[in-house]
Amino acid sequence: MTRISPQLGPMLVVALIVLALYWPLMYLANIPAAQRALDTGAALPCKTAFECATQLRSPVLPSPQQLWNGFRNLMFPLNSPNAIPLNAAVTALETVVGLLLAALVGFFFAIGIVASRAFERSLLPWIVASQTIPVIAIAPMLVVLLGQYGVQGWIPKAIIAAYIAFFPIAIGVAKGLKSPDPLSLDLMKTYNANNWQTYLMLRFPASIPYLFTAFKVAMTAALIGAIVAEISTISFQGIGKMLAENSRASDVVAMWVIMLSSAVLGILLVALVNWTERLVTPWQRAKVAATPMPKQARVSKQEGG
Amino acid sequence: MMQSNTPNTHLPSSSLEARPIVSVRQVSMVFQTGTVALKDANLEIAQGEFISLIGPSGCGKTTLLRLLADLIKPTSGTILISGKNPEEARKSRAYGYVFQAPTLMEWRTVLSNVMLPLEVMNFPAGERKARAEKMLALVGLEKFTRHYPWQLSGGMQQRVSIARALAFDPQLLFMDEPFGALDEITRENLNLELLRLWRETGKTIIFVTHSIPEAVFLSTRIVVMTPRPGKIETVIPVNLPQPRTFETRELPEFFQIATEVREALRKGHGYEVTE
Repeated sequence: MTRISPQLGPMLVVALIVLALYWPLMYLANIPAAQRALDTGAALPCKTAFECATQLRSPVLPSPQQLWNGFRNLMFPLNSPNAIPLNAAVTALETVVGLLLAALVGFFFAIGIVASRAFERSLLPWIVASQTIPVIAIAPMLVVLLGQYGVQGWIPKAIIAAYIAFFPIAIGVAKGLKSPDPLSLDLMKTYNANNWQTYLMLRFPASIPYLFTAFKVAMTAALIGAIVAEISTISFQGIGKMLAENSRASDVVAMWVIMLSSAVLGILLVALVNWTERLVTPWQRAKVAATPMPKQARVSKQEGG
Repeated sequence: MMQSNTPNTHLPSSSLEARPIVSVRQVSMVFQTGTVALKDANLEIAQGEFISLIGPSGCGKTTLLRLLADLIKPTSGTILISGKNPEEARKSRAYGYVFQAPTLMEWRTVLSNVMLPLEVMNFPAGERKARAEKMLALVGLEKFTRHYPWQLSGGMQQRVSIARALAFDPQLLFMDEPFGALDEITRENLNLELLRLWRETGKTIIFVTHSIPEAVFLSTRIVVMTPRPGKIETVIPVNLPQPRTFETRELPEFFQIATEVREALRKGHGYEVTE
């Protein structure tokens, strides 16, 4: 936990700077709207456009005070189906399950890509093509399709999250599996190691750092996938469902609060990946903590000598 | 076997009457690019010898070592290792190979790195640790078993890699410029340590280098190789007394042999190649 506190300081500084820049921007955006409201004689508890700028019912940009109030309204009660915590938990569940599913599929694809050129050549273009289809287009169709087989609720959203997340994982892990240098592969050959042993003792462990880098990219992608899936299908729970509802109700402040909350959720989920990474790669944890020694020059070898 | 204290005292450099552990006959290697890496190489190595392959880049010394290790196949000619072809020899784990870089696995501790070949070769779990610890003691790293590779200096990393190559007790040790990336002082220390190791274990060592003093100091015989095409120019016996010490480098014979090597390299145009 000592590693989190040094990160918190810089984060707060950035938050303060953003807030300082946001304030004048908010006035700039809201004053014309406030003037218009005053001109039309709307019942406002304020006299000047400047005063009203922070109190509009649907502001162009919400004031920090409005955001804070909206945040308090939407956070509690914690277990309310209309509050953020429960819905964020559902979205987080979809995202994490989606990511694990993506890891499973991505790993198999990665092994395929590394083990067989034919696999790479025949399937990779289709995989790339699959990633260019917008989630918003494919999500409703997938939900209908899965609904045919009784798969409902959060599971289709997890599958859609996985659909987006598996690609960076497959590519990242494939790169990791290919990362051992030729000398290390020669070394395994001198031991007469079989293919399985080379994967188990060299390629898999070498791919772990790549896997986690891919996880960080994939986690944010999966979160977006889950939210978009919630928005574009019939949902009863989740951040996306809240966004859709409040969009229909034109509640600008709530939209902002939910958006910021999902950003916080993203930060927490990526932090979860970082934390897991430190747990499973103790050799790197030590490396980060101390100043590393200059790395030994790797001599590439083929005909040298 | 591993620690059999049969010392390599005074191995006569011309001890070819003993059964050759390595036999190279008319071996050539042409790469797909057309480069003739090695042409008509002939070499017999007796059990317990310390052979250095020396020459400039492109003379085929690493190629020859990789051929012996069955990491590449020769274009023509025959190689026998303890009477077997290189592939059989590799499969029966006849040799340990030390590369230019330590090639340690960064996710394994020092001890676990030395245990790697034993895991691949399915040694009983209980034996692995004991063997690895013994080997690390042999290279003087018994206090670093729990460290990760990056926590060690380059010289220490290379010692771990030597311990790893010896862990499964092969008869032969192939070393491809193992100290090439190290500074002069570390290198001289490791040379002494390597000789002690050689004496204590009775292994046959084939050592690639492009340092003349290193070759003279370590070897029982020096195989001088020259480029374009890569070939064995001559084989020079080194009859310096054993065991060798720091003072060995001061002997007049030391300089004599070094000069002999230098002249053989010049004769084969070994000096015309710039690296």
